[in-house]
Amino acid sequence: MSTLTKVLIVLLTIASIFLCGIVVTYVASEVNYKQKYENQLSSYQAAKKNEDNAKTQLNNTIEEKGRDTEKLGEQIASLEEQINKLKSDLANAERNRDLANRKVNDWVAIVKDFSKTIENNEKLTKDALTERDLKEAELIKQDKELKDTTAALMENMAIVKQLQEGSKRLLEEKTELQNKLDQYLRQYGKAIAEPMPVTPDRGAVSLAPPTKDIDLNGSITEIDLKNLLAEISIGTADGVKEGMRFHLTRGDKFICDIVILDVWPEKAVGWIELLQDQPRDQPKIDDKVSTNL
Amino acid sequence: MSPVVQSRGKKITAADNLYTVILAVAFCVVLATAVFVAYQCYTQYETIFKIQ
Repeated sequence: MSTLTKVLIVLLTIASIFLCGIVVTYVASEVNYKQKYENQLSSYQAAKKNEDNAKTQLNNTIEEKGRDTEKLGEQIASLEEQINKLKSDLANAERNRDLANRKVNDWVAIVKDFSKTIENNEKLTKDALTERDLKEAELIKQDKELKDTTAALMENMAIVKQLQEGSKRLLEEKTELQNKLDQYLRQYGKAIAEPMPVTPDRGAVSLAPPTKDIDLNGSITEIDLKNLLAEISIGTADGVKEGMRFHLTRGDKFICDIVILDVWPEKAVGWIELLQDQPRDQPKIDDKVSTNL
Repeated sequence: MSPVVQSRGKKITAADNLYTVILAVAFCVVLATAVFVAYQCYTQYETIFKIQ
């Protein structure tokens, strides 16, 4: 065997060992792509499954959101209706509040006027009470005078009664005496002459002066049938006086009479007399009154 | 090719069987490498030559 062959054998062996070492090192250190592929494939399938689940959840979520959106839309619509209703209620409430404020202001003014009126009325009431006390004192005085007058009248009535009895007795005595005198004179054919009154004759009676109609006309302004009182539209300015009698007529029909009790410048109040029983003949407001029929 | 010692004026040389052994070792190394590569291919790709 030649030397070259030997050298080549040695070199071939060294190169073979070297290359085999490189190949073994490379193959041993190479990545296992199949396992990596399987891992990636399983990861991909898991990811795809997760994607499907996520899509399903997304669709469910989208459907729920759609339903929630519809519900919220309905709630928004109902709330808008409520808002509009509340706005209209608010406007009504504000309008009522303004009216109430206006009424309050009016009532405040009315109350002030009433306060002034009450003060005036209190003053008038005090004056009226004072006047009433004076009138009561005068009335008591007049009552006392009336009692005295009544007592005097009773005494006079008793005297008149006694005088009437005396006059009756004298008349009977006169008749008896006259009968006796007639019987006595008849025997002699004579008759008694007409007796002459002891009191002198006063002569012819003079005529009363001619009268004229007062001719006042008015109408009924108020009437109180319970107390039989009526108010007429004319007073002292027209010549009405206490005690005057007015005739109340409706058309050509007589209703009743009114006797005046109190008189003011523009009106007068009187007592109703000769009232009819039928309801249609009761006096009413605006019926005509006059002093002459 | 037996290893014969050249005792008389000749150089000492290795017997030819030595080179045969060297060649056998190299062959075994290459064979072992091929087997290892085949084993790796089979375990990783479940085939030796076929491309999936």
